[in-house]
Amino acid sequence: MTMTLETCYATMGADYNDVLGRLRSERLVQKFVLKFLDDKSFDLLCSSFAAGNYEDAFRASHTIKGMCQNLSFTKLMESSSELTESLRGGSPSPQSEELLRRVIDDYRMTADAIRAFESELGA
Amino acid sequence: MKREKILIADDSEMNRSILADMLSDNYDIIEAEDGVQATAILKTHITELSLLLLDIVMPNLDGFGVLEAMNRNDWIDAVPVIIISAENSSTHVERAYELGATDFIARPFDALIVRRRVVNTLLLYAKQKRLIGMVENQVYEQERQNDMMIDILSHIMEFRNGESGLHILHVRTLTDLLLSALQKKTDKYKLTMADIGMISTASALHDIGKMAIDEKILNKPGKLTPEEFEIMKTHSAIGANMISDLPVHRQEQLVKIAYEICRWHHERYDGRGYPDGLVGDDIPISAQVVALADVYDALTSERVYKPPFTHDAAIAMITRGECGAFNPLLIECMNENMDQFRAARDKNPDEIRSHKLMRISEEKLRDTGGASQRTLRLLDRERVRNSFFATMAEAIQFEYTCEPPMLTLSVFGAKKLGISEIIMDPINDQKLAAAVGSESMQTLLDNLHTTTPEHPDVKLDCSIRMDGMNRWCRVVMRSMWTEEVTPRLEGVLGTVLDIHDSHQKMQELEKRATRDAMTGLLNRASAREQIILRMQDGPENNFALAFFDVDDFKLANDIYGHEFGDRVLKCVAARMHDSTRGSDISCRAGGDEFMLFLEYKTDIEKTIDRIFHAICCDFEGFRISVTMGVALSRDVGTSYDALFRAADAALYAVKRVTKGNYRFYDDSLKNTLEAEEASDRKGE
Repeated sequence: MTMTLETCYATMGADYNDVLGRLRSERLVQKFVLKFLDDKSFDLLCSSFAAGNYEDAFRASHTIKGMCQNLSFTKLMESSSELTESLRGGSPSPQSEELLRRVIDDYRMTADAIRAFESELGA
Repeated sequence: MKREKILIADDSEMNRSILADMLSDNYDIIEAEDGVQATAILKTHITELSLLLLDIVMPNLDGFGVLEAMNRNDWIDAVPVIIISAENSSTHVERAYELGATDFIARPFDALIVRRRVVNTLLLYAKQKRLIGMVENQVYEQERQNDMMIDILSHIMEFRNGESGLHILHVRTLTDLLLSALQKKTDKYKLTMADIGMISTASALHDIGKMAIDEKILNKPGKLTPEEFEIMKTHSAIGANMISDLPVHRQEQLVKIAYEICRWHHERYDGRGYPDGLVGDDIPISAQVVALADVYDALTSERVYKPPFTHDAAIAMITRGECGAFNPLLIECMNENMDQFRAARDKNPDEIRSHKLMRISEEKLRDTGGASQRTLRLLDRERVRNSFFATMAEAIQFEYTCEPPMLTLSVFGAKKLGISEIIMDPINDQKLAAAVGSESMQTLLDNLHTTTPEHPDVKLDCSIRMDGMNRWCRVVMRSMWTEEVTPRLEGVLGTVLDIHDSHQKMQELEKRATRDAMTGLLNRASAREQIILRMQDGPENNFALAFFDVDDFKLANDIYGHEFGDRVLKCVAARMHDSTRGSDISCRAGGDEFMLFLEYKTDIEKTIDRIFHAICCDFEGFRISVTMGVALSRDVGTSYDALFRAADAALYAVKRVTKGNYRFYDDSLKNTLEAEEASDRKGE
């Protein structure tokens, strides 16, 4: 199957029409989707959470949420948003770990879809 | 135009990148990864930065920290801040506003909203920023816009009066000159520079009442008849009423001055002017000065009814009191500044403008300290002026800037065209094209392309869709250029006048001008028009025209005074009204002369007798009686002139014998009438 930007969005549970409506150009959407994987926030989130540095974890989660909002990555935006709220104030809530696992799952799914789209472009 | 610099502070590289992409076409972008970097850049670039887009959640120092630093260092007034954040809880928003943020853009970013907010904020701050620095440019620009408004007004008047459009400009320059001279000579009138500016501006409106005067009278070659002159004279009071009828700005000083000028610019210092016969300094100084400027420019200009006089002849005629009576101080001011007077008359509009701007600059230099206070006042006055002129002209105003490509419409304009007030990239905007009509749009652009820095103005008529209908409009545009060696187009100012509407409005005003102000009866010209129409409608019917005057009216005036005389005339008008039908035409023909026109079936003799006796009565000890001549269409035909002459002949036939009586025209008067007509023809 051929992976277009639109099917890539569908695969990761994201809203393609919404992002196109705001950024107004497929070229721009593609550019920022491909940039998404360069961002180090996800690694920072995992490592700082593991180290118990919840302040950094909150900011990293917040950044992910912001990027997802801009790119209309709906599914990941929802989970990262919930995680961000649970970490607000610098201390975790009882749900934080569970929420982090959801963010990790959603992030991987999102990243996989983008990589598949990227390799399609390269081919 | 230098590109404006925007600082984007956001820890997410992607967010910065998205914003930069949205804005980099029109602005220079600087990026900061966190609050500390942002603060450092602010510190070193504060004077170059036009705007800060600020994220709240950032490492090292968050957005609130940056705002606090900006407050501590007084940067917050120099650079506007738009918060960009996924944090949209109300406490965050509120805190950001408290710390001086101007606007808030929530994620996810919408390219259109980001661009528009950025433009709006920059526009808002551009004004204040220029206030902090020097205001010369701003004032200059405002003056230019203001002058353009006056140009437009001149065009409208020119369109109507057939007068040179320069008349308004000349009167304005001469007014300014006289007032400046007067200010140096005496402090009697307590004139400030601001007063002088306002009076000069308002002088543009002195003849606005002429919009209500019949074009045939306005542009009549040769001398006006006494009746026509009476009508012409109403323009000052009509103009004043137009100003006081304005729905807005009634309390503004400029409007008050405009009222004075309109109403009293035909008063004379000796009290023999009109409409109120004010004497000496009871006439506001504004109106006195405009009156003199008006007379001088009228003398030295060519008009349909006269060739131009030379400067020297005009000065001599005015000084000798041949063209009115003026304040001796003003005559002195004119004679002492004769050369400037002559020069002002010969200058073209651009020279007049640069002279004025020079004076404004000089004044500013004198006014050291409090400059920004003064500027605020100036700007405020300009705002009032502009919106005032826009109201007068009911114009659609617009401004186009090339960078960013943006069209700003006046509120009135946007409403009229049914589009938004701000349109980005208007040349490619489909809504705008649909509203204006793509053909007209092309015509406008084509015309614009013909302008140069030397000839920046263009005026054209084209059809524009307003309120869903195609209407003929007059468009006046001025292109604005950079002051570089190779000037580049910076933008365009313009106004669209709906000519349909102004026609309608004029007709309405004409209607208002059909009645005699004192008695409320029709005036002679409009009665004549209606009588002609009535007879054209039913040439088979029977018509009577009665013409009469009040006996010994002059005596009543002399013994009891003019005010009593006026009441006598009002009494006659009221009795005419009460004794006739609504379909009859009652008219005050001028002075103490009245005219009555009626259609009848039978027994006109009885009707006339009844009306005649109804009018004659005792009024406050004065016996009102009239002498009347009546002509019937069955005897002389349905020509207005024939009827009128016959009635007039009958009236004079009564007068030769007695007064206080009436008679009908009959064939026995035919010879007198013919003799009169013959002598009239000889006299012509």
